[in-house]
Amino acid sequence: MRGINKAFGSNAVLKGVDFAVDGGEICALLGENGAGKSTLMNILGGVFPADSGEIYIDGQKREFTKPADSLGAGIAFIHQELNLINDLTVYENMYVGRELRVGGKKHGMLDLERERRETEEMFARMGMDLDPTAMVRNLDASYKQIVEITRSVMMNASLIIMDEPTTSLTDPEIERVFSMMSTLREQGVGIVFISHKLREVTRLCTRFAVLRDGAMVAEGDVRAVTTDDLARYMVGHEVRTEALQRDRLLGASVLRAENLSDSAHFKGVSFSVRAGEVLGVTGLLGDGRSELFLSIFGAGSDYTGQVYLEDRPIKLGSTTQALRHGIAYLPRDRKENGVLKDMDVIENGSITVWPIISKLGFIDMARRDSLFEDQVKRLRIKMGRKTDIITSLSGGNQQKVVLAKWLSRSPKALILDNPTQGVDVGAKEEIYDIIMGLADQGVAIIVLSSEAQEVIRVCDRAIVMYHGAVMGEVRGAEMNEHDIMRLATGAAVC
Amino acid sequence: MEFSEDSGKRNFASWFVKSWRTRPLFSTGVVLAVMVILQTLALGFDFPSFGDWLVRWLMNWNNILRNNAGIGIISLGMTFVIISGGIDLAVGSTLVAIGAVVMVLIDAGPNGVLLKMGITGVPAYIIAIAAGVAFGAILGEITGLLVTKGKLPPFIATLGTMKICRSVTQHFMQGYTPQVPKGFLQIASFPIAGQLVMPILYWFFFAVIFYIISKRTAFGRQVTAVGSNERAARLSGVNVQRVKRMVYTLIGVMVSFSAILQVSRIGSMDYANAGSGNEMDAISAVIVGGTSMMGGRGFILGTVFGTLIIAVMNNLLNLLGVPPFLREAFKGVIVIGAVLLQKRESAS
Repeated sequence: MRGINKAFGSNAVLKGVDFAVDGGEICALLGENGAGKSTLMNILGGVFPADSGEIYIDGQKREFTKPADSLGAGIAFIHQELNLINDLTVYENMYVGRELRVGGKKHGMLDLERERRETEEMFARMGMDLDPTAMVRNLDASYKQIVEITRSVMMNASLIIMDEPTTSLTDPEIERVFSMMSTLREQGVGIVFISHKLREVTRLCTRFAVLRDGAMVAEGDVRAVTTDDLARYMVGHEVRTEALQRDRLLGASVLRAENLSDSAHFKGVSFSVRAGEVLGVTGLLGDGRSELFLSIFGAGSDYTGQVYLEDRPIKLGSTTQALRHGIAYLPRDRKENGVLKDMDVIENGSITVWPIISKLGFIDMARRDSLFEDQVKRLRIKMGRKTDIITSLSGGNQQKVVLAKWLSRSPKALILDNPTQGVDVGAKEEIYDIIMGLADQGVAIIVLSSEAQEVIRVCDRAIVMYHGAVMGEVRGAEMNEHDIMRLATGAAVC
Repeated sequence: MEFSEDSGKRNFASWFVKSWRTRPLFSTGVVLAVMVILQTLALGFDFPSFGDWLVRWLMNWNNILRNNAGIGIISLGMTFVIISGGIDLAVGSTLVAIGAVVMVLIDAGPNGVLLKMGITGVPAYIIAIAAGVAFGAILGEITGLLVTKGKLPPFIATLGTMKICRSVTQHFMQGYTPQVPKGFLQIASFPIAGQLVMPILYWFFFAVIFYIISKRTAFGRQVTAVGSNERAARLSGVNVQRVKRMVYTLIGVMVSFSAILQVSRIGSMDYANAGSGNEMDAISAVIVGGTSMMGGRGFILGTVFGTLIIAVMNNLLNLLGVPPFLREAFKGVIVIGAVLLQKRESAS
């Protein structure tokens, strides 16, 4: 790609970007949210055209006006939201849109048997142990990812673009996807890998390219740089990696749980968190931590055991009650659970306070505005007008708005589930700062995270879960990736 | 000079296209304005004086508005239902059921319930209206419970209540023709300045109330939140089940008022046919008004516009002498056109 320019309205997103990938290499495309990575890849994937600039495939100039053009040129774009049909089997998904017919005719009965066989052969060739007849719905996230990658290989893609493939995966699942990517690389396929996780980049990729504010600021061999270098290229200044937790005067126990179990997701969980404390809860996918805290919050399955709020036993039957008790829960998957996509910024940031600032059912609009503006200042939310639609904000700012709605209720206990999911490096640091500030003010905070690094940096101590049970607690020097992983994989019990 | 004129035109054109695409109220407003102009042209100017023309024009509008007040009131409730992500197919049937209850109560004949109890006149009307509204609310609440506790898709739940209500009403009202007392007819027919405008006033009154509820109250905003992202709304402490129940209760109440209006206007009810098609007319008005069938985005003002667009179009077709059987086809075209427009917005 040469001299690519693209503007949306008056906002120039790409400014003369050059970018190239060879076969047999994995090139990391890095940059903060809004740096132009997705725009660049969307142009390559034929989602929309560039304003100016040229694209060459195997030395030939090509024009892409729709995704099919790009696919025809051997470029497969695997989006963050996977394009699989949950209610079909794996092999049917492989052939969606180019189904095989009996006898190779154009119209006719589907040749399901051949589809299944060829899928099986493909998996065998890639060294993947996966049943082609499984329903996609029942696969875990990494296998879905693998199905999608395999599909692009079966379509003879010579270049695969992967947009943050690992955000929703756990570590062993990431390994699975990575080993597949390495296999493909050895077979001469070029891969563009978009990720915010720099350690993945240094491990997996051969080359890197960094976009900042729509311009290519650095590229080169991954072996020549460290993660710190990459982070610096991305944000344009030094990034902190040091631990953030500090000694605080801890208050009395705020939220305590004894022996919580439900029928499927968690069993025998006990923990306690004090005012001003940041408790981490970590583990791999399927550890049940989200389900556990959803249940405590009154939005999940029924449980046995006892929860205490400030040493008084409580059982929340609904989220409305949870709010009244001063418990807040920032859910994971902002798009699905956090953002009201049709509503404007201030409504997203104030929905939790409507009941308490209403008189006779009428919302006190002035109170609403002032409460929200306090949070905008406190969280340093960058936005246009407060009546702009929420989806006009960047991921990090959307997350801050979702957080704002909880902070407006001044919670005693704040549960944060994957608080930095899908936000860029800079916004991540800001969110960490906010967490630290809240803890200083005596809020009891629980951070659920699958990133060991995050837990280590932010939390005072952490409990590690494995298949719904607490495997152990780490604090101080024990709080390192090795020990956390040992507990999270259940290795400690074997 | 020529250049600036040209660019001014282009600015207007691009502003127009942009507003049309991004602001449903703008596009429905424009369509309504065009309809009104066409209708005015169709009415013609063949009158001896401007005064005569104006009187004719105003009388025509009075007719349009009065004839559509009933459906307009139901459409207001339907807007909330659709914004919350639901649908109510039962409105036409619950209308008959509520109408029957009201008429049985106020019957001036030998079987009139309140008459037998010795209650007549205004107290009887008040009791009958209150009972009608309460009955509508109960029917709505039942739908709400089926949708929330029973976890039925609203389409199915209201398809069921639609069948039940009309069938049961028809059965019990066989061979029984209540006589609506004269006084009750005043509710819809009380003339103001010699004109029958009461239904119009009721409609606009409720439209204002609904507009305020949708914009200013916690409940109104929660309806939008639930339709926009039910999970996120629940996790934000919104009592989603309560909001949904209230939405159906509210449309039940609006159907009650529509039923009372109809009883009071006509003085009788055809249980087999009254209200049939009301559900589709109300849904059409809501959709034409720019409210999304997917929920989460909707406009009370848009629904008023939508009701008017369909009403004015009917009037226009009437004035042009289009055969009655063909008129429904035009309604269909309008609805499809409206949804096609909405599609384009989300794609761009």
